Amino acid sequence: MSAHRARPQAKRPSLDGGRILGLTLLGLLTLAAVVGPDLVGQDPARQSLLEALQGPSGRHLLGTDHLGRDMAARLLSGAQLSLFLAGLSTVTAALPGTLLGIVAAWFGGWPDRLLTAFADAVLALPGLLLVLMLAAISPGSWWALYTGISLTLWVEYFRYTRQRARVVLAEPAVEASQLLGIGPWMIVRRHLMPEIGPGILTIAAFGAATAVTAVAALGFVSVGIRPPTAEWGVMMTELLPYWRESPFLILQPVACLFMTVLALHLSVGGGVRP
Amino acid sequence: MTVPGQEAISVEALRVFTGQNVLLGPIDFHVREGGMLVIIGETGAGKSLAVQAILGTLHGSLRAEGRITVNGQRLDTLAPGARAALWGRKLATLPQEPWRSLDPLMRSRPQVHEAHRFVSCLPRRSAGIATDRTFGSLGLHGAERYLPGALSGGMAQRVAFAAATAAGAPILLADEPTKGLDTVRHAAVVSLLAQVPQAGGALVVITHDIAVARRLGGEALILKEGRMVERGPTRTVLVSPTTPYTKALLEADPACWQRTRPHRFDESVLMADSLGIARGGRVLIDDFSLRLHAGERVAITGPSGVGKTTLLDTLAGLLMPARGTIRRAARLAPTGMQKLYQDPPAAFPARVRLSCSLRDVARIHGVAWALVTDILSRLGVHPSLLDRRPGEVSGGELQRISIARALTVRPGILLADEPTSRLDPITQRDTMNLLANIANEERIAMVLVTHDNAIAEAWANRRIALNAPQVPAFPDSGSNPATDPIMSGRESA
Repeated sequence: MSAHRARPQAKRPSLDGGRILGLTLLGLLTLAAVVGPDLVGQDPARQSLLEALQGPSGRHLLGTDHLGRDMAARLLSGAQLSLFLAGLSTVTAALPGTLLGIVAAWFGGWPDRLLTAFADAVLALPGLLLVLMLAAISPGSWWALYTGISLTLWVEYFRYTRQRARVVLAEPAVEASQLLGIGPWMIVRRHLMPEIGPGILTIAAFGAATAVTAVAALGFVSVGIRPPTAEWGVMMTELLPYWRESPFLILQPVACLFMTVLALHLSVGGGVRP
Repeated sequence: MTVPGQEAISVEALRVFTGQNVLLGPIDFHVREGGMLVIIGETGAGKSLAVQAILGTLHGSLRAEGRITVNGQRLDTLAPGARAALWGRKLATLPQEPWRSLDPLMRSRPQVHEAHRFVSCLPRRSAGIATDRTFGSLGLHGAERYLPGALSGGMAQRVAFAAATAAGAPILLADEPTKGLDTVRHAAVVSLLAQVPQAGGALVVITHDIAVARRLGGEALILKEGRMVERGPTRTVLVSPTTPYTKALLEADPACWQRTRPHRFDESVLMADSLGIARGGRVLIDDFSLRLHAGERVAITGPSGVGKTTLLDTLAGLLMPARGTIRRAARLAPTGMQKLYQDPPAAFPARVRLSCSLRDVARIHGVAWALVTDILSRLGVHPSLLDRRPGEVSGGELQRISIARALTVRPGILLADEPTSRLDPITQRDTMNLLANIANEERIAMVLVTHDNAIAEAWANRRIALNAPQVPAFPDSGSNPATDPIMSGRESA
């Protein structure tokens, strides 16, 4: 029997049913995005007006859109774009966010005040505004979208890491390690990373979901990715006028978006336990 | 002689389970009105579970069985809501570390007033009068306007006591009421508790401290690993114990330890000269000098808040002194000064296996792993423990592992900050003996910070008592150590 003061310990995320479902779904989506376009073998941009608005067939597995482009190829190419942008912006937000959080907590004093003030300033600026500003500089380019999304998302990692790291670094365990001659890198690795890792992963999953939604939303209002690039939000805008004739078509990008966000949220697992 | 009253609380065959495992019991006891029971046991013996089982506040995965009768009313068969209605009215509790049980955002007076008003259901005016009377009788005048965080441990304990007993519950359950208090406040809390049976109430005290039991008297019940090993009048049990465990428990009392003879030491390893230490604008220590020798054991004692830990951290080089110098012997490596902590689990990275933590230290200092396992086995640590994480090892064992970790880097000085205050008496004695042996064998100088004078007296070669801060004085400067309000460094035999 453990016989001392209980230390608050975040539960190790266990593999519950929802989490398995989320991770499987995410794996399948990624696999589809990577190898799918080759399997389908159709050019997502090739128009064929004679074949417009067709239902599923042997040649076009999920039918064709209003310009006769293959829906399956377009959805998969959209998945590639969305997942790539989400992954990239998550990594480029998580790395500096976490590192700066550790720096702020470690050094305290003016570096902490400076970084916190900067993070607060970014937080005060609506993320959407930032993306719109960048999109105005370089309309329709993916890097403007990506930069805008990363710049908005890193603050969350920073704030979380700084908060947790301050608590962990103040523990006697860190002092003991320092007295034992253990260097900063090992202290981060042994004391800090195990404490903040699960939280960072959770933020990353939610952040990626935010990024996927943001890309689609901006595409939908014609600020983000521009046609003819196959992007889920752009596809929704294009197919909206035809929802009466072929509702099946617009449902497809909506379902893709829904599944991706669901998979990311489920992959976090746990949720609220009683 | 007091006339034995009616039976106030009786517990029969009480057991607490987690799943199929018995954590506690079976235990039986009866306390009459005006009676007192002290449950003594080591940490982790399941003492707190007994209180929780009686109250009906066991954690979700735990289950209690057995008969609990309070004033002739069965408690164990009551619905949870009906049980809760008895809290404060029939049964009151004084939890561990009162500053955690009080509302941190509410001043002292309203906390007690609230209990008078809503638990004993007095009208506002009468509740106010009753509150003032309570504050007066407990000597809390002046504390009314303070938040719990601003109160001293003893004051907070009295405020918690006032709130808990406001509705006149005839039965008081106190769970480690003296934990974390220094010796002076310790005595005050014990005499406060002793008032309960004198007023005709029934008192159940849970403690790991034999001294508390000795002061209180009444009946005693000794628990070991959740089982009742001995029961009887406290004086009898403490004077002539019948079971080996109780004997061991009593022998572990610092008062019974072998006294350390003063010793002559020659090689000095640390010299602190006229240190001045301030924290948060308050002068804690002024003009403190210390010459520490290899193999010497020094104890620094004093009430809580006097700056013992700050002094230790300054000696360790973790804090800069406001004045004065600290010089280490040239032979000491940068890691030549190591520290032991009060709460062993907090001294290790929480989510990493112990073997990993120890291997890191060994690798950085180029120490062969065989040497580390050798140290561990000399300290009596079973190797299988290293596969666990800090939270999964008992406090005593973890403290031994942290001693082993410190020895890995071959320190010249070991600073220990209340290293045994969270350990039970037997483990405490074993740990302190171990430290004494290491000091002798390895010629390591040790500085122990403790609020327990008995330990300091029994263990150290030399004692330094820190008293109330702010008046600069030192025995060498000609002041009288007995009356010196600040600090007296006196050599003790």
